[in-house]
Amino acid sequence: MKPGRVIGTVTLSQAAPQFRGARWKMLGPMGPDELSGKNPDGCASGWSPVVLDQLGAGEGDVVLYVEGAEATQPFDHPIPLDAITVALLDRYEFDPID
Amino acid sequence: MILARVDGHCTATIAHPSLKGQRIVLCTPIDEAGKASGSPFAAIDTLGAGRHSRVFITTDGSWTQGTVHDDSSPIRNQILGLIDDA
Repeated sequence: MKPGRVIGTVTLSQAAPQFRGARWKMLGPMGPDELSGKNPDGCASGWSPVVLDQLGAGEGDVVLYVEGAEATQPFDHPIPLDAITVALLDRYEFDPID
Repeated sequence: MILARVDGHCTATIAHPSLKGQRIVLCTPIDEAGKASGSPFAAIDTLGAGRHSRVFITTDGSWTQGTVHDDSSPIRNQILGLIDDA
């Protein structure tokens, strides 16, 4: 489960049939500076994952998302999914030592 | 297992049902000298790890599903040990 900030929405013209009705969000990865407030509205370096969202995350929300096979667990049918949001963070605190 | 340090926590009202009532902590992976060596991630904590305590974390989804009693839970990181000395 990694933290990420919703930086956009992705709409697909063509998609795998299993994704009918799916809503996709683009996330900016969050590193120590983004979480601890040194770089409050920015994104860490790294690629921006596109994540299936069933929780109704909005632009700028901080979410936790899961990657890999665990992302398909909530579904009872096979789905070629790689990342899904699992939580919308209300509040978070992060103060690393170094 | 991931060697990490608990550097924060977070709360989420809207979340997957299996996260209800679980304490979610934000951890930084560390190396043997205790220096941060990776981007932070979240894990559920049933052992009550304190701030800046060193822990080791499993990424075994099926074990974590047993902890949250939900076999459709997408969570995979769970604190399984509080480290005294390493």
